[in-house]
Amino acid sequence: MATLEIKNLTKKFGRKIIAVDNISLEVHDGEFLVLLGPSGCGKTTTMRMIAGLEEVTDGTILIGDVDVTELPPRKRNVSMVFQNYAIWPHMTVYENISYALKLKHMGKSEIDQVVHDVARMTKISELLERLPTQLSGGQQQRVAVARAIAVSPKVFLMDEPLSNLDAKLRVSMRTELKTIHASAKATTVFVTHDQSEAMSIADRIVIMQGGKIVQIGSPEEVYEKSADLFVADFIGTPPTNFFDVELKKTGETLHLVHPHFDLSLSPKNAALLQGYDKDRLVLGVRPENILLANEQAKIMSTTVLVVEPQGSHQVIAFKLDENIIKMVAPAQPKMKTGTTIHLNFKQEALRFFDPDSTLAIGN
Amino acid sequence: MKSKTNKKVIKAAKETVFYLFLTTLIAGMLLPVYFIISLSFLSTREAYQYPLPLVPAIKTDMELGYGERGYLLSVWDRIDKEYQTVLDTADLEKMEYYIKSQLGTKITEEELLIETSRLENSDEESIFFTKPRALLNNYDTFFTVTRDAVPALIRSLQIAGLTILISLSIGGLAGYAFARYIFRGKDTLRFSVLFVRMFPGVAIALPMVFILAEANLYDEPLGLSLIYSVGAIGLTIWITASIFMGIPVSLEEAAQVFGASKFQAFMKVTLPLALPGLAASAMYIFLGAWNETVAAIILTQFKPTFSVVVYQTLLGASGQVNLAAAGGISMAIPAIFFTFFLRKYINRMWGGVKV
Ligand SMILES: Nc1ncnc2c1ncn2[C@@H]1O[C@H](COP(=O)(O)OP(=O)(O)O)[C@@H](O)[C@H]1O
Ligand SMILES: [Mg+2]
Repeated sequence: MATLEIKNLTKKFGRKIIAVDNISLEVHDGEFLVLLGPSGCGKTTTMRMIAGLEEVTDGTILIGDVDVTELPPRKRNVSMVFQNYAIWPHMTVYENISYALKLKHMGKSEIDQVVHDVARMTKISELLERLPTQLSGGQQQRVAVARAIAVSPKVFLMDEPLSNLDAKLRVSMRTELKTIHASAKATTVFVTHDQSEAMSIADRIVIMQGGKIVQIGSPEEVYEKSADLFVADFIGTPPTNFFDVELKKTGETLHLVHPHFDLSLSPKNAALLQGYDKDRLVLGVRPENILLANEQAKIMSTTVLVVEPQGSHQVIAFKLDENIIKMVAPAQPKMKTGTTIHLNFKQEALRFFDPDSTLAIGN
Repeated sequence: MKSKTNKKVIKAAKETVFYLFLTTLIAGMLLPVYFIISLSFLSTREAYQYPLPLVPAIKTDMELGYGERGYLLSVWDRIDKEYQTVLDTADLEKMEYYIKSQLGTKITEEELLIETSRLENSDEESIFFTKPRALLNNYDTFFTVTRDAVPALIRSLQIAGLTILISLSIGGLAGYAFARYIFRGKDTLRFSVLFVRMFPGVAIALPMVFILAEANLYDEPLGLSLIYSVGAIGLTIWITASIFMGIPVSLEEAAQVFGASKFQAFMKVTLPLALPGLAASAMYIFLGAWNETVAAIILTQFKPTFSVVVYQTLLGASGQVNLAAAGGISMAIPAIFFTFFLRKYINRMWGGVKV
């Protein structure tokens, strides 16, 4: 195992396409890092540069303090699970797993030992003599993982390894990958565009957009302290609700004024906005931070548009002007379309964003 | 209820029409093949009869009597259903030759002597006897009479083999490049590769004669296989490019990540996966080189290919359709053998690709 460090990495395709734009990050020894971002943001390109499959336009890649930027893939000591698994169709599962070990000139009995070990870990012991065409998607996925951990790589790369599985299998494989990671303790970079996958599996999440890193942090950090409007919108389902509000001061209290509500801020929130000198901002409120309130405590009233029961809770949608706002409420009492509800916000969970720079204000 | 039966009837009618159509089509394709196979087994006499017999006879019924010049030989005609006189001679050697070459029937001089003495010793005006046909007579004659046939056959095999080697190595590598790399002028090149094939062989044959003569390759197997490769490489590039495109790059990349060099990755992953497709291209190249005649006529003189020999049989002084048919079938056999052999091999390989 080793650390992985990326310094000012840039990748251009031709002159115009900048797929990865000057990114820097560090993956700790044994850490499970997730690269998260929408399709086309440069995740795969980053991963391919780490693996050596894509030439670097600018920047450095260090694996365990060794500069591997110019090394061919086979000399980097990384392994990879490809999105389409890339299992060699003309080799049996056993041959697939053992090929890399053979190239490392490992002895026959040792190879046998390793293959059976990883097969047990990934639960494919019975499939070793099969050809890939005789395997289901989930089994192929396991073979790809087994092949990747067999070589005991310094860095373990996975490019959307779960995206070709059906929804149920995807969720159970998440847990399994996490278990395998815990026992193999491999430094891992995992790519996905699925934020809920990232949240459930990551030690830390790197959020990318347009080839740039917008935030690095633990799942809790990126959720609760989203760095900008994009992250706040991208992370969480349903996403953060945004309100364009005017900032007003009456006496000592700060108010956020919106056509539908007038919210006086707590001293703590007011302190956050101290250095902010514009008179407009974007207020971000996560669905679970919109609270059902009684007549006295409410800041606005509205009527329920749609209710989505989720068993443990319910998602209530309502309309403010043209915007659909979604909130999460306990499963009871059951809401109905057309019911009038009174609402308030959870003060300590409010987020403020600069409408021009889109960055979060305060902290 | 009624409409249901109606529908059934319509469906049955549709199917009938479809299968009738299919049968006609297949018959249309198979009939000439049957015709030439049957023709290759007919005796010369039968081959020039009208209407042509549909199946070759397996025996010949003959009648021996007395004629003006000696013995009178008559043959049973399967079409006219009567004995027809074909020869009047005292020369038994001539008669034996006639029976062998024209009637395609096995007989020895002793057997003929026995028959004539049987006639002399009998009171009848004529006697009857039956001899088995030598069914492979045409093939025998083709290879003995046409002195060039066997060396030409070997030469054709050489040429086809060389053409496969040249086209597959150059065309295959180019196909790989087309499939995997983006380079300037790729589209133009891809098109121009086909452009070569737009010219009929005859059109470029004359300049080729000069070029080959200059290179000392005129009337040489290598020269001809170079000419064939010009056309075959284009086709091979197109076929192999699509084969390589069908093999995900990630398979090669995975090999590289797991310790292989680029070359190792190609040899260990891409090449074995492409083999069925490469075998299919080899098949097309073989058939092309094997069957080509026009350019071979122009570009050979003393070392003709097998197809040229067959062609000459049809034209030459000995020009007999049944001999030419035997030559044609001899030519088809290696092609058929090669095709089926490769097909079996291709289909056996990891079940995937079907040709
Ligand atoms: N080989 C390539 N040639 C040109 N552009 C590419 C190539 N590979 C990726 N790109 C571009 O780079 C950007 C990032 O791609 P990618 O890393 O695959 O994104 P992601 O994996 O996050 O979906 C995209 O705009 C994509 O179109
Ligand atoms: Mg991708």
